[in-house]
Amino acid sequence: MSRTFLRLTLAQRLQHLFMFVPFIILVVTGFPIKFYDSSFWTVLLNLIGGIENARFIHRIAATIMLIDFIFHVFYIFYNIIINKTPLSKMYLLPNMKDARDIVQNIKYFLFFTDERPKFHKFSYIEKFDYWAVFWGMFIMGGSGLILWFPIFFSQYIPGDFIQIAYIAHSDEALLAFLAIIIWHFYNVHFNPRVWPANKVWYKGTLTEEEMKHEHPLELKEILESEKNND
Amino acid sequence: MHAINFKKYIFQLSLFLFSIIFSFEKNIDNENCLLCHGLPMLSVQNEEGEFRSFEVQSDHYSNSIHRNISCRDCHESINTFPHEQNIEPVNCAKSCHITRPFEMKIFSHKNQEKQHKISDHGFNPKHTIKENAEKPSCKYCHSNKVFDDIEIFNENETSHCANCHTGESLNNVINHIDFHISHRSSENSTEIVELCSSCHDNNSKMIQFDISTSQVEGFNHHFHGKAMRRGLNEVANCADCHSSHLILSKTDPNSSIHEDNILQTCSSNSSCHQNPTLEFSKSAVHSQPTSDNNPLIFYIEWGFILLTAGVMALLFAHILMDVGRYLFDKFNGKNNE
Repeated sequence: MSRTFLRLTLAQRLQHLFMFVPFIILVVTGFPIKFYDSSFWTVLLNLIGGIENARFIHRIAATIMLIDFIFHVFYIFYNIIINKTPLSKMYLLPNMKDARDIVQNIKYFLFFTDERPKFHKFSYIEKFDYWAVFWGMFIMGGSGLILWFPIFFSQYIPGDFIQIAYIAHSDEALLAFLAIIIWHFYNVHFNPRVWPANKVWYKGTLTEEEMKHEHPLELKEILESEKNND
Repeated sequence: MHAINFKKYIFQLSLFLFSIIFSFEKNIDNENCLLCHGLPMLSVQNEEGEFRSFEVQSDHYSNSIHRNISCRDCHESINTFPHEQNIEPVNCAKSCHITRPFEMKIFSHKNQEKQHKISDHGFNPKHTIKENAEKPSCKYCHSNKVFDDIEIFNENETSHCANCHTGESLNNVINHIDFHISHRSSENSTEIVELCSSCHDNNSKMIQFDISTSQVEGFNHHFHGKAMRRGLNEVANCADCHSSHLILSKTDPNSSIHEDNILQTCSSNSSCHQNPTLEFSKSAVHSQPTSDNNPLIFYIEWGFILLTAGVMALLFAHILMDVGRYLFDKFNGKNNE
């Protein structure tokens, strides 16, 4: 049996789980309100049991997702402060190599070169996914809370912000949904290199073969550090 | 023992029972107006050749709010049988002999009429006769539901209409009656919004008064409108905020949406929002932001549309190029993976 490499720890996999299950529930219970004329969403709304159930379930799912996000923020600070992880080991931070990788990849797509960029632990594609969710949590979570408790927030913000929250929640929801089903699903399901699915979200590990293809720089670093430790 | 006349007893008992049974059939028509007006599709043709229905469906009238008022209590000018063809229209503000429960006074709609008169829906000398006539009167919104639903005009029931009215003209009759029954008020939010929209969504009507029709669309896109469309009937409809009769511009201090009154309107009037703040009550519920009336919201909305379109265009381009290169290499036997 070939060697496997840990990519996502159990804590990280659980954070992903508690992000995507509420996400699906939020889409299913929220879109019938966004698309109030659509017959497709009417059928779904009736399956849920009407608008009142949908609103209730939406808020439960939103709460779970926000707790997951807050846990994630604590998790990051725990890693920085208690585990003393150096910035160079925080692989999701964008850097100049990402910009070079984008240029290299586009060159490759357009036949200017035959060499694909070599990625470390996270490619710019995965970093985009991560930071899109990070930004989305503030927009969706913030506007969602304003819409949930409009009177409470109106003590501190102008009334127009309620309307802005309404627009932001509705429009950002569509962007998030499209980004997930098109971009994220392409990269982890529909991409011919990973089809039918990237199983790392529950397995947590990659094989040496997969590491060589998708994360050659990380593999090199791991193997080198092992050599130094020997 | 006192002997009873058995035959007489049976006769009296059955008379008694019959009278109880028939007393459940609430019918105030003691002057038998329904002799004619109960005839299905009874109608009169005017000089323009249009038909107007004068049928009164006793089932519906007996279940309406006015069921205890006999016809001539409101149609006062009728004194002969058969009556004149042109009779005076009903005056809704007339005092009638019905009192509210436990209130020892004569009931009248005068109050509502007074409010309506000074509201923006009332007569305004600045407007032309035609414009004033376009405004809704009592009966435009309240029509007592004596007409049945359009659904009852199925083929069987219109078959006798078709004896005289063929083709177009049959449709005209049905459309005419449909029009009369479709703009009726009730406590149902959906129907109230529909009633108000019947004019406020009609640009040719609203342009005379320099009123935008964007409120209707704005309402449909906002919290209340969407919740209503999805079946939350207790949600605020037009009349909950603008009141039913004293409908005034927000600049008028008597208006329910004037900034001094709006807090009250959002909260206690309809027990919708508990302890609202002034900023909360100022938040628009049916505006369609434009670059003039609310540039901040207008440009934020466009910002999100451009952001979504831009991001999705870039992501799509990336995916298509990726698939394209992959397939090209695959079919040309190259392996750069």
